Amino acid sequence: MTIKIAVIQFPGANCDLDAVHVLRNVVGVDTSLVWHNHFKEADFDGVILPGGFSFGDYLRAGIIAAHSPALDEARIMLKDGRPILGICNGFQILIEAEFLPGALLQNETLKFVCKWVNIKVINDRTAFTHRMKKDDVLAIPIAHGEGRYYTDNLKELEENDQIVFKYSTEDGRFKSEANPNGSLESIAGICNIEQNCVGLMPHPERASESILSPKQTTHGRIFFESMIEFIKRRLT
Amino acid sequence: MTKVKLNGEEVSVEMTRDEFEKVKELLNRDPTITELGGFDVMWSEHCSYKSSRPRLKLFEDAEANYDYVLAGPGEDAGVIDIGDGYALAFRIESHNHPSAIEPYHGAATGIGGIIRDVLCMGVRPIALLDPLRFGRLAGNSHSQWLFKYVVKGIADYGNCTGIPTIGGEVEFDDSFKHNCLVNVACIGLGTIEDFKHAPSRAYNPGDYIILMGGSTGRDGIHGVTFASRTLTEMSEADRPAVQIGDPFTKKMIIEATLEAVKTGFVRGLKDLGGGGLTCATSELTGDGNTGAKINLREVFTAEPGMTSYEIMLSESQERMAFIVKPEGLETVLNVFRKYEMAFAVIGKTDDSKVLKIFDGEKLVVNIPAKALSESPTFKRKEKRPEYLDQLLAQPTPKPNKQIGEIIEILIASENICSKEWIYRQYDHEVGVRSVVKCGNGDSGVLRVIGTNKFIASSVGVNSKHCYLDPYEGAKGGLVEVCGNVIANGAKPMAMVNCCNFGNPEIPESFWYFSQAVEGMNDFCRSLKIPIVGGNVSFYNEDEVTKTAIKATPQIMIVGLIDGYNNIITLPFKTAGNDILILGETEAELGGSEYHSVIHRLEGGIPPKVDEDKIRARWNFISALYDRNLIKANHDVNKGGFIVTIAEMCFKNKLGAHLDLSSYNANGLRDDELLFSETVGRFVLETESTRLNEIMLLATKFRIKVTKLGVILNQPKIIIKGLENQDISLDIDKLKDLYDSTIPNLMEM
Repeated sequence: MTIKIAVIQFPGANCDLDAVHVLRNVVGVDTSLVWHNHFKEADFDGVILPGGFSFGDYLRAGIIAAHSPALDEARIMLKDGRPILGICNGFQILIEAEFLPGALLQNETLKFVCKWVNIKVINDRTAFTHRMKKDDVLAIPIAHGEGRYYTDNLKELEENDQIVFKYSTEDGRFKSEANPNGSLESIAGICNIEQNCVGLMPHPERASESILSPKQTTHGRIFFESMIEFIKRRLT
Repeated sequence: MTKVKLNGEEVSVEMTRDEFEKVKELLNRDPTITELGGFDVMWSEHCSYKSSRPRLKLFEDAEANYDYVLAGPGEDAGVIDIGDGYALAFRIESHNHPSAIEPYHGAATGIGGIIRDVLCMGVRPIALLDPLRFGRLAGNSHSQWLFKYVVKGIADYGNCTGIPTIGGEVEFDDSFKHNCLVNVACIGLGTIEDFKHAPSRAYNPGDYIILMGGSTGRDGIHGVTFASRTLTEMSEADRPAVQIGDPFTKKMIIEATLEAVKTGFVRGLKDLGGGGLTCATSELTGDGNTGAKINLREVFTAEPGMTSYEIMLSESQERMAFIVKPEGLETVLNVFRKYEMAFAVIGKTDDSKVLKIFDGEKLVVNIPAKALSESPTFKRKEKRPEYLDQLLAQPTPKPNKQIGEIIEILIASENICSKEWIYRQYDHEVGVRSVVKCGNGDSGVLRVIGTNKFIASSVGVNSKHCYLDPYEGAKGGLVEVCGNVIANGAKPMAMVNCCNFGNPEIPESFWYFSQAVEGMNDFCRSLKIPIVGGNVSFYNEDEVTKTAIKATPQIMIVGLIDGYNNIITLPFKTAGNDILILGETEAELGGSEYHSVIHRLEGGIPPKVDEDKIRARWNFISALYDRNLIKANHDVNKGGFIVTIAEMCFKNKLGAHLDLSSYNANGLRDDELLFSETVGRFVLETESTRLNEIMLLATKFRIKVTKLGVILNQPKIIIKGLENQDISLDIDKLKDLYDSTIPNLMEM
């Protein structure tokens, strides 16, 4: 049985084709670009909510897309344990749709920031990180204006092991200069309690080919490879 | 403003009385008010190039003379065939006047406009580049305000549409204090098939004309004629003539347009920019040798009660006009429905060669389709400014500080320091094509996914050099920008330009334009670089300083790199490797940063270009690349080669040990040798075991290449062989100075 992945195309998404490229041509998995109104969960084993500016980020980043019928479909996948990844704007959508807790605020610098950063793996058991090792440091780029993670329930997040990534220095230390947007506790990505849904601000699809990486790394690919293996395990 | 009598009423127009008489002669009657509005816009300097056209005829016919040029000047964008079935489209244009009044929306809609120009060639916009000019930032809050919001306007619009901004260039000079320059460039990539589906002509009678995208509103009416006037205090009142952009709608237009083109039912495509519906419909039918009947009541408007004059002249953003085969109408409309884009079938083409615009039953425009593009041209007077002789004769005073201290001041100066503050705000990675990213090379390098080909692109020109000698300055700009793509391993393939000058009615201002055009023409013919498009922005001067801006013939080059292994980057790689310089340094401090920053001088002798030497160097570099001899390459630009070397040390925290005694064959003073901005030089890194091979090749190519020293494992630059004492510079300190200037000025 072949694995099928959907990349949802919200109006204004702009990393949709990038995710499709990596899934199809780099990871080699059957991937469909699906217009948000046409998405049917039954056809897919996993779903990616790509980065971009869905609905122009009007009102607030991600909030209009959170009310798309695509999220109702995705909610079924969330409940039955299929993998869901939200990248950048996709993460903002998952938060607005309450798949994931907390909020993403405007960067501390009040400016959009595009750069390569390092993130440290905190939880290596999620659908997208189980092929990583706890404390691994990954090189990955960010590009966002509203990525400062905040929650009132940090303790709960920690207790439930929902913090997946934190911004760090190259050698894995948490320092304010390694935190590019002022996120609480340097949080870069989180998951739901069941660990099948992950959202993060950095872009794994931009870090999956050595040609694009300043250090010839391919750490982004591990997200997608983890997902494929996760699906295979579920199916068998 | 001219006052003319129309049907017994007095009307104000921008055109001259002679032009008004010519309109009457063309039509054999008085025009209607809507027709007159159309002529007024289409015959403006911005749309008609009436002052510049006679000079631009100098450029050779790129389409005829280069087999890989698919579209040349006169099209919305230049297009070249890059092999493997792909077409590359690119264009640069100005959005200076709107940005000087309202920097955020002016810059944003500039990006919007250039994206449309590339999109209407049927290809996907994949990169943006933005050369900018402002007044000096230090102690000047107005310049800081313009700079901050222009950058934010570009970032917000470009980032939202998902097109990476991969490069740019900026100079700060007080001649731009009240008239900043915002030039915007875009590159598009598609198949040659896609390009063929989207000519900007309606050549087939019986096709549908569809308007798609944003609604037509009262914003931006006469934006074009506004751009064709000198900025005055009154310009503040022109704010309604600055359009408001909507990048989300633009993103949807991009996707809907590309999907519509893929259906194969689109027969023509044109964006609505300056001149709005008037410009689009008249150019589509005029260039296509057809006519059309259009009903304005079909156009969806932003508010009720708009007159035919307003609908025809509105420059509301985010609109495209499609010419569609009758049998494909529903298919194309279904694409627009999927993206929830507003659209209207506004008319049909016919073979009448007449453009008939109806407002319901009433015929409001009835003119030959070609008439609007047949503007008269002006032969402008030109005169070399008298002040130039005195400026060129300015001698360079003796250095007033230690050379080491001067290097530290230069590296922190606004025109030399790091531009990271700008490019961090631009998403320069979206699209997963960016291989050489901002700060890592002289140009932005993109891969063409599915091939082993790479596109390198860069923009720039030196306005201070052009101010002293526009002919050599324009050539020098070409040498510099071609040098940028060559430094990354590319072969320059084609050029587009954006000419920013003062009032063409002033002979001294027009002389600058005329000289720059001649310089570009001579260089491009000699080095075989096709000129595939251009844009002219005149009237860049203001009432506050009573002076024109420094002449700025902006140049954009695209080059191709064949194979990943042939990409070269800027940073030094390995300690122990040799540092070479290609090309001599002349005593050419005129217009240099050294003159400007250290001595507050504008004059002196600026760099000259010798095409034969440049050609030989480019061929030589190509031979070095073929033999895999080069590990790093950076072309020498502002501040001279010592700045170049420092920049190459920064990334990997390396240093350089230099001995300049054998290089200074011309016996130059220390400041001349170190800070001259002689164009066409490159600093190279090579393995010391390969040095002999390089020197033998240099002899064969009759090229001067000199070993300046070796790369050090510690972060310092040691310079020996000067007239004065040896110098030792700390790389960490230099890097700190280099990085902190703009943040310190902008983040207070």
